[in-house]
This record gives sequence, C-alpha cells and structure tokens, in this order.
Amino acid sequence: MNPTLFSRSLLRATTTPTSLRSTTTGLRALASVATSQAAAPAKPDSKKPNIKQFQIYRWNPDTPEKKPYMQTYELDMNQTGPMVLDALIRVKNEVDPTLTFRRSCREGICGSCAMNIQGSNTLACLCRIDVSNSSPDLVPDLTQFYKQYKSIKPYLQRKTPSPDGREYRQSVEERKKLDGLYECILCACCSTSCPSYWWNSSDYLGPAVLLQSYRWLADSRDEAKGARKSALENEMSLYRCHTIMNCAKTCPKGLNPGLAIANIKKEMAFGS
Amino acid sequence: MASLFRSSLRTATATAIAPRLSRSITATTSAAVKCTGMKNLGISRQAGMAKKGFHISASRKILPAGPQVIQGTVNDAAEIPDPNATHGSYHWSFERLISVALIPLTVAPFAAGSINPVTDAILGATIVIHSHIGFESMVIDYIPHRKYPTLRKGAMWALKGATLLVLVGLYEFETNDVGITEAVKRVWRA
Amino acid sequence: MLSRALARSAWKGQSPVLSKFTLAKAYPAASITQSRSTASTSNLSNDEAQSILNAQRKLRPISPHLTIYQPQITSLMSGANRITGAILSTSIYTFAIGYLVAPTLGLHLESQTIAEAFGAMPDAAKIGIKGILALPFTYHAWNGIRHLIWDTGKMLDMKGVYTGGYVVLGLTGLSTIYLAFA
Repeated sequence: MNPTLFSRSLLRATTTPTSLRSTTTGLRALASVATSQAAAPAKPDSKKPNIKQFQIYRWNPDTPEKKPYMQTYELDMNQTGPMVLDALIRVKNEVDPTLTFRRSCREGICGSCAMNIQGSNTLACLCRIDVSNSSPDLVPDLTQFYKQYKSIKPYLQRKTPSPDGREYRQSVEERKKLDGLYECILCACCSTSCPSYWWNSSDYLGPAVLLQSYRWLADSRDEAKGARKSALENEMSLYRCHTIMNCAKTCPKGLNPGLAIANIKKEMAFGS
Repeated sequence: MASLFRSSLRTATATAIAPRLSRSITATTSAAVKCTGMKNLGISRQAGMAKKGFHISASRKILPAGPQVIQGTVNDAAEIPDPNATHGSYHWSFERLISVALIPLTVAPFAAGSINPVTDAILGATIVIHSHIGFESMVIDYIPHRKYPTLRKGAMWALKGATLLVLVGLYEFETNDVGITEAVKRVWRA
Repeated sequence: MLSRALARSAWKGQSPVLSKFTLAKAYPAASITQSRSTASTSNLSNDEAQSILNAQRKLRPISPHLTIYQPQITSLMSGANRITGAILSTSIYTFAIGYLVAPTLGLHLESQTIAEAFGAMPDAAKIGIKGILALPFTYHAWNGIRHLIWDTGKMLDMKGVYTGGYVVLGLTGLSTIYLAFA
C-alpha cells in the first residue's frame, strides 16, 4: 500500500514515547506526515509497559493475488492515546509505515476513519481502546456508495422563487424535522453494517443514502418530492430494507437511519 | 531525543534519510531478517486461523459479493430503476395488509371455538400469500438478478409453481378434510 | 527491546542520519512488508483510466461481513424472523403439496390419520414435537407484531428496539411452553 496516499492531514497523537520518538523521524518523513507535535517533556521509562495486541485486516493492491490476512501489532498502551485512531497512527508512524488508513479530523466530524472495530462499525477516532483486539477494514472502496448518494440528488430542488426574493424561509417546526437527518457525515458505518446492503449493495441504496434521501423529502423547501419518491418506487432501492436496525445500532453519531427509512415507507404507503 | 532538535534540523535529517531508507528497504526485503516483523506474520497467521471470518483458508464465503464492477464512471450517479409501484409501495402496503389480516384470522377461530369454512379458507389463502411474499423476498435478497439471471428466473417460476400447487392442495384439504383450524386442533389435542 | 537499544546507540553516536543497517533493524516490519516503487506518470485518456480502474477493482477482495460482524439483538432477531418464517412456510408448502400427491403415492395425510398417529406417541415426544412447532410460530407471530408496530414509525429508537426485542423473546418463551403443554 502506498503510505503517502492519505498523509496530507496533520495528526496529533496525544502521547508520544520519548525514547522512540527520535527514531521515528525518518519514517515520519517517509510517510510525509507533518510532525508538528509540541515537544513533550521527557518522561522516564520507569512505567511498566502495558502491551496490547492489535489485529488488523490487511491486503495490498500491489499484490492482489495474495489473500488478505490478519496482521498483529503490539503497542505499549502507556504511550498511546486513548482512541483506536491514536493506536493506528502510532503503528503507522512507529511500527509499519505501509499500514494505510483514512483519517482526517480525529474528532468524529469527517467520517473518514469509519471502520469495523471489534465486529462493529464505528469511527476509530471516537472508539476507545478498551477492547483487546481490533480488526478494522481500513480503506474500503466507497465508489458505489458515493454514486448512490449522487443518484438521490442530495441538494435542494426548487423552481418557485421565494416571495420576497430573499432566502427560502422555514418555520421552527419545519426546521425541527431535519434534526437527526442533517447531522449525517456519510461515514457509511450504517450501510456497511446492514445485511441487506451486504447482499445487494449495487441495487439497494442502503441506510446512509436513504437517510439522506429522507433528509430532502422532509425538507419543507424542496419541491421535487414526487420525483424523489418515484426514484425509490421499485423493489430494490428502498424496499430491500427489512428493518433489521443494525444501522441505528452502529451509527457513531447516534442517528437513526432505520426510522428515516420507516418514515419514507410510511409516506409512500399509498403510492408515491 | 527529538525534543533536542531544532525543527529545521529535524527536517534536514528527515529529507536526508528518505532516499537512504527506500534503498535500505529494497535491500532488506529479500534478506532473512529475524525480527519482530517475522514474528508478527507468524502471529497474524495464527490469529487468522482463530478468526474464521477472515478468509485465510480456502473456505467459501457465504453469498460472496463477487468482484466489484462499477457501472459508468466514478462521477456518474448510480442508475435509478424505472418506477413501478406494483413492485414498490403497493407491494409493501399489500404485504402489511396481509400481515395485519393474519392476526385476527389466526386468533379468531381458536378464540371463538367454532369453525367457519369461509374464514378457514381465507386464513389458508392469506397464509399462502404471506408465505409466497416471504419466499419471494428471500429469492430477491439471495439470488440477485445481476449475478444469477437464469437461476433467479428459475427460482421465481419454481416458487410460483409451488405456490399454485399449494393452493390446489389446500383447496383439496378444505373441501375433503376438516379444514386447517380443525385439523390443528385435532392434532394438538390428540 | 532490540530496536530501541539499537536506535539509542545510533543516536549516541551523534549521527544525524541513521545508518542503513540500523534502520533496517529498527523497522523490520516496515522493511519486510513495504514495497515502494518510484511513481511514474503518463498521460491517459479518460477511457483508459476508467478501464485500468475497473481492472483494479475486479481484483479487490470483499471484506468479510456476516462472519465477523458482532452478533447483536437487531440482526439476530431479524435473521431469526426470516428463518422461523421459512420453517413455517416450508412446512405448510410441504404438507399441502404432500396432501395433493398423497393419493397417487398411497400415503395417508388425512387429519384423522395424523391425529391418531400423533396420539399414539409417548407424552414426551408429543410435548417435544408441539414445542418444536410452537417455537417458530410464536416467535414469528410476536416478532411480526413488533415489525408492524415499527412500520407505523413507533418504537424505532434503540431503546424501543431492545425493549421490544426482549418482550418478544419473553412472550415467545411463555407461549411456546403454554402451547407445548396445551
């Protein structure tokens, strides 16, 4: 894997080992990660190391004929930040620069570091390391996900101008309907936790995209509701949802795609 | 200690190392380096064995998704199928209607204690429709059209044929025997 | 740790640049797994780029899903709903088609015959068979009601999903026991 692929962003591991740090400089440069860590006061190495194993599912696109495998890394927890992302960053910086993963904001806003940790999908930056092993799926191909997102036309569609020529206004109640919908960061944790999406990801839109679809169906300013609904009027796009509810269970932002989908179905119950 | 370096010096060090490092890596890839890296791979293989889900062995995956083929370019939106309410919202509403109807139809004959042949026939037909929709849903989920077009068609027709036979069979049962509710009662109390 | 010691000794030597040997020792994992090729660029048409991308994509493995995903009430109960439904429907289909072809095959599937055969069984077998039949039926029925409530948009928050799930499991247990001994 190309270690420079996702190395634009700045990272700040909360704790860094003192003795190891000097040795990491070269690798940091290799991974072209900006090393902007403030110089931490040198800590004595007196603390007993608290070693934790991390199992990471890996595959290399340069050698596609080789099967994916689990690789184990060991880290001293005394020198690692509290979140799984901290551990991943440390592994990349100090143990194995070929480890590739997506991350950006490290505070649960960008959705880049969504991965399967200990069997459940979540954001690595919001997931505490209190589990013994983690097996994240690090760089998934999200092309189809984004193509599906594009297909629901995720933007305001409106022909009538506002009466006074200024912005389109909403009442407080109308705006309230968008709460729990607009917060979605499209990390795809829910879609990839959904068994229906596992079986039919090319045809079924999946919870994240359907939540976004409902976000525009619920918007009082949008005028393309008929077209939006008729785009879902087939056996695959919407109706592969069997209310399994893994989506709401896994959402790292605490949203409820299952409820949004149920609302779409309810609105469409007597035809679109 | 990194903290001893001035930042400018650190960058200089880093850039100086980079080309050297890449050379050293190519040099050592083939060399047998006994080190944690090797151990790591060993551990990983063991761990992989323990975790069945990760396909270390040649075991077949459940419903393999197959290679990803993306239609159109990356920037095209996913295709929207033609709207068809019979397979969409009407189908969903009909499914709910049948499911809701099953509740009184199942409870009533046992609660009332009397057997009305018409109610019993309606119950039988509703169960068959409910089953048919359920099976159909499984076929759609597990035999996707894009991957097994022939198998999908075959499964759908087989299901239709089976449902038809079942309807005939239940008609025979309703007319020649005692009816579903009474038969269940008989067996349960035997 | 060997790597740490080596790294330290390298720094003690006041060398600003690590020697080849030290780096290879210090980052053995990296040395083994990394293959860095120099990037070369060439002009490609959109179609060519697309076909390269598609070829690469076909080699991409699909990550495991069902086999590694954490078992939880949500998906387990949904799966159970489908399995119990399939068991019930398959039994009905088998019986109905069996009843249709029974005369030609010389079988006796009349309710009278079945009831008599069932009645002749020992009590333990009766209770067992009734329980095995009642479990999928009661589960599918109760969970079906849960699904119908969900379809109205109610009880769809995580608390409702879990409370409802436990209620369904409890009711299934009680009604199965009741029907098995009825």
